[in-house]
Amino acid sequence: MPQLPLSPTVEPASAEWRDFFALTKPRVMTLVIFTGLCGLLAAPGEIHPMLAFTAILCIAVGAGGAAALNMWWEADLDAGMKRTRHRPVPSGRIDRTAARDFGVALSCGSVITMALAIGWLDAGILALSIFYYAWVYTVWLKPRTPQNIVIGGGAGAFPPLIGWIAVTGHITLMPVLLFLIIFVWTPPHFWALALFVQIDYAKVGIPMMPVVAGERSTRHQILGYAVVLLPLTLLPWWLGFTGAIFGLSALALGLVFVGLSAQVGLRRPLPDKDTMKPEKRLFGYSILYLFVLFGMLVVDHLAARFGA
Amino acid sequence: MTPPLTPSELAAFRARQKSRSRALALVLVALVVLFFGITLVKIRDGAAARHQAVLAAPATQAQ
Repeated sequence: MPQLPLSPTVEPASAEWRDFFALTKPRVMTLVIFTGLCGLLAAPGEIHPMLAFTAILCIAVGAGGAAALNMWWEADLDAGMKRTRHRPVPSGRIDRTAARDFGVALSCGSVITMALAIGWLDAGILALSIFYYAWVYTVWLKPRTPQNIVIGGGAGAFPPLIGWIAVTGHITLMPVLLFLIIFVWTPPHFWALALFVQIDYAKVGIPMMPVVAGERSTRHQILGYAVVLLPLTLLPWWLGFTGAIFGLSALALGLVFVGLSAQVGLRRPLPDKDTMKPEKRLFGYSILYLFVLFGMLVVDHLAARFGA
Repeated sequence: MTPPLTPSELAAFRARQKSRSRALALVLVALVVLFFGITLVKIRDGAAARHQAVLAAPATQAQ
C-alpha cells in the first residue's frame, strides 16, 4: 500500500474539538453552570442579561479550565482506573502539554473576561476557585489525605457565590450559606461514588476515605454529613433570607437525603457479590437533590419578587 | 520520527484537523460578538451614570 510522507512537525494523533471539550468535564460543568445561574437569579438586584450571560460563561469556562488542568496532572492515575482510562489524555488522543495549555488558556481567559465585564471581586473568587481545584485539591490534597474531598469540595461550592456576587458586587451571609451547602453536600455525594468504585482508587494509590478509613467508617461519615446538611439548608429560611417555598422544599429533600444516607450508613454486613444498590441510589439522588434545592431557591425568590 | 501514515489515516487526520479549525473559528467569532455586546452594555451604563451625575450636580450646588 502506498504511504505518504508526513511532515515531522505534524503529530499523528491530532485531537478533535470533541476531545478538547471532553477535557472540560462537561457533566460536572452542568451542575456548576446550574448552581452558578441559581445564585445569580436568586440574588437581590439587577444585572443586564448580557453581563449575566458573560458571568455564567466565565464560571463555566473557568470550571472547564480547572478540569483540563486536573486531567493534565492526573493523566497517569486516570490511565490506571477503569472509569477514567478512556479520557482524552490517558487514551492518547490529546498530549499532556496540549491539555495543560488548554487548561491555562481557559482559566486565564475566563478570569480576565470576568474582571473586565463583571468586576475584580468576582474575578478574584473565580481565580481562587480554579486554583483551589487545580492545585489545592488535585495536586496537594488528593494524593495525601482521605479528607481530600471534604476540603477539596470547596472548589465546587464557589459557583453560586460567584453568581450572587455578579449581581450584588459584594459578599454577604446568604451566598456564603450557599457555598457551605455545597461544601457539606460534597462528601456524602462523592463517598457514595467512592464506595462502589473503591477498587479503582485503591489500585492507583489514591487515599479515598473507603480505602484508608474503611467502608464502615465512610458509611458513618456519609450519614453524619447528611444529618449536618439538613439544618444547614434550613438556615436561609430561619434567618429570613428565603421564604417557605425554599424552606419546606429543603426540609422534604433533606429528609429523603438523610433517609437514603441512613440506608447506606447503617448497612452491614454486606452480602457476597453485592451490587451496591443503596450507594448508587444515594449518588443519583444527591445530584437530583442539589438541582432541585437550588431550583427551589430561584422559584422562592421569583415568588417573593412577583408577589405570589 | 513519526512513522508515515497510510492515505486513509492521513485523510482521517486531516478531517480531525479541519473539525478542530472550524470549532476554533466559531469560538473566535463568538468571542468577538461577546466582547462587542459587553462593550455596548458598558458604554450604555457609563453614559447613564454620567447623565445621572449631570442631573445631580445642580441640586448639590443649590444646597
